[in-house]
Amino acid sequence: MFLHNYRYSLVVLLRNKGLVFWTLAFPVIMALLFHMSFAGIDDAERFSAIEVAVVDDDAYQNQVIFARAMEELSKSEDAVLHLHYADSTEAEELLNNGEVTAVISIQKREPVVRVLSSGIQETIVQSVVEEIRCDSEVISDLAKEEILAEIGEDGTDLDFERIFTDISKAVLSVKSKVNNLNQKEYSFVMIEYESLIAMTCLYSGLLSMTLMNMHQANLSAVGKRSTVAPARRGAVLAGAMCAALTVQLITLMMLYAVLLLIVKADFGNDIGKILLLSLSGSLAGLTLGAAVSVLVRTGENAKMTVLLSIVMSGCFCSGMMGIVMKNIIDKHLPFINWINPAAMITDGLYALYYYGAVDRYWFDLASILLFSVVMTAVSIGGLRRRQYDSM
Amino acid sequence: MSVILEVSHLTKEYKTVKAVDDLSFTLNEHEILGLLGPNGSGKSTTMNCILSLLRYSSGSIRIHGKEMSPSAYDLKQEIGVIFQDVAVFEELTVYDNIRYFCGLYIRDRKTAEAYIEDAIHLTGLEDYRKFYPKQLSGGLLRRLNIACGIAHKPKLLFFDEPTVAVDPQSRNNILEGIEKLREQGASVIYTTHYMEEAEQLCDRIIIMDKGKILASGTPDSLKSITSVTEKVMAEVPRLSEEKLHKLEGEVTNGSIRYENGRLVVSFHDGKDHITHLIDILRRMQISYLRIYSERPTLNDVFLELTGKELRD
Ligand SMILES: Nc1ncnc2c1ncn2[C@@H]1O[C@H](COP(=O)(O)OP(=O)(O)OP(=O)(O)O)[C@@H](O)[C@H]1O
Ligand SMILES: [Mg+2]
Repeated sequence: MFLHNYRYSLVVLLRNKGLVFWTLAFPVIMALLFHMSFAGIDDAERFSAIEVAVVDDDAYQNQVIFARAMEELSKSEDAVLHLHYADSTEAEELLNNGEVTAVISIQKREPVVRVLSSGIQETIVQSVVEEIRCDSEVISDLAKEEILAEIGEDGTDLDFERIFTDISKAVLSVKSKVNNLNQKEYSFVMIEYESLIAMTCLYSGLLSMTLMNMHQANLSAVGKRSTVAPARRGAVLAGAMCAALTVQLITLMMLYAVLLLIVKADFGNDIGKILLLSLSGSLAGLTLGAAVSVLVRTGENAKMTVLLSIVMSGCFCSGMMGIVMKNIIDKHLPFINWINPAAMITDGLYALYYYGAVDRYWFDLASILLFSVVMTAVSIGGLRRRQYDSM
Repeated sequence: MSVILEVSHLTKEYKTVKAVDDLSFTLNEHEILGLLGPNGSGKSTTMNCILSLLRYSSGSIRIHGKEMSPSAYDLKQEIGVIFQDVAVFEELTVYDNIRYFCGLYIRDRKTAEAYIEDAIHLTGLEDYRKFYPKQLSGGLLRRLNIACGIAHKPKLLFFDEPTVAVDPQSRNNILEGIEKLREQGASVIYTTHYMEEAEQLCDRIIIMDKGKILASGTPDSLKSITSVTEKVMAEVPRLSEEKLHKLEGEVTNGSIRYENGRLVVSFHDGKDHITHLIDILRRMQISYLRIYSERPTLNDVFLELTGKELRD
């Protein structure tokens, strides 16, 4: 029964042109489009830093770590930003004359980027500043923690030497990272690819949702047929889910083939872990689709809308349209990340790629699996039912 | 004759409507039982309750003496269903659709393949094996719907209005197919709101309305319920109120209705009133296009029982 259902579910999925486009072709097309547009940036602008004005006032100088990092950043040969220190009126003039792309200033202890339009250069500036802000925050938090810990232990004698070495180490690592923020390697591109991976994983929900709709008597005519048959429910549904998983594996293989062979994206040395994360992410997508099929009681279109809204807003919140959104969420609405599978996937990828933070990677992976387990439980609860109050 | 299906005191309420109201009936072996009723009379609901798809408020359903339930796999194995809505996969060919649904019942591949061939022949789909449902005409699609429901050679068959939107040719094919299935040993519940079909096909008919049984019996015995013995219809394009009134005075032994250019006179005392009526119409100078006589139909039975027409 399992194989019978697996086989025909596979045919049903692969013959559905809409599904094949959205789940199989769309991610690959997106990857190629990203590649084409980014390839342009790299070639045209690799050797010209983006001109930026910095409002060099007291507020700016007070953010010691941020200011130092910015300075560090513009020193290197192929630096991504070229800084012009100015006062606020001058800076504004430069911006209006088109001599700089953005004005960076510190307001209420936070860096603010002012731009006049929303092109790629503007986005890059915003991302760079955002990155530096995060890093400087990490360092100042670390400093605070170290000092508080010392005070807590003993109260009087601060081990300045140790605090100093710890913080210097952190500063050094940030410094080397900032120095590496040149245009060729700049993360902006990778962020887009990572969001694309998250989206691809979660799009698999379309596959499982389509099949689950076909096996519920209150949702479709074929569902009635399937329900009146003497076949074991578990075997029928497992066959369908495995078919969805198979199609998703094909999708992932195609996407990674494009990313690695054509785009030549640099995923570092941990490609195994990245694949594992993609696989778990797909599981989250598949179970999410099944849960939507069971829980959303209205028609098929409504289900589709709900699923796509969850996936797209999830991807948006986790950096698909630029990292700024992700950081806003991280900072002000962190609970969204706890339930957003897209955030778990991208966060796991960031953890590996930028920070080499393996612990955080495993934590994200575990969150994704937990999410899948919850979705599975919800779906099984609904799918086991075979008698309805109305249909 | 042994009883295959026994429905007793079945009641099903949706939130606001009582769709099936204390319904009891039985189906005998090799019998074709018609459930005849207008739209919304509770035919599909009854069927879905019997199949354990719908939860019902009270009553019991026994098949071969055993309580039917969602996990009564042995009973389900014997059942074939043709749903009112066409239930096939758009993405599978005619053959694969039948193959898939048959495979849910029959595990042995050889047996399944032989059964599928039988179903294809019975429904006359030989030339369409590789077609996708989208490429089929309405009638062929209905036939595929039937093939998917009967391929596993069930002993108990449910047909829910299988001939809706089908041309007379295809309809006859379908009815003949059902007759053949009965000859091969199946018992059938046939749901429809076409009285001609029920009369032609069914051994026994249950007339329902608002979830209740109004009458049941063989087509002939049902017709004896009505006191109408003959109906004479005349197509009269125009008839003034005044003339209609006068006509009612002339025809003393029959009741007269006039609507949509059709004059219907029902007699309750024997047959052969047509010549008499023609005389009256001539005398009154009422011109008609066509005039014919009809024996009472189930529609008359329904009309008499409920005061409304079976078909709207
Ligand atoms: N899901 C539902 N929720 C509420 N009421 C329903 C539902 N399905 C059917 N009904 C009501 O139950 C009654 C019986 O409907 P049912 O579909 O069984 O009739 P039917 O005899 O099959 O009609 P038709 O000839 O149109 O197929 C109708 O009044 C209908 O409005
Ligand atoms: Mg119906």
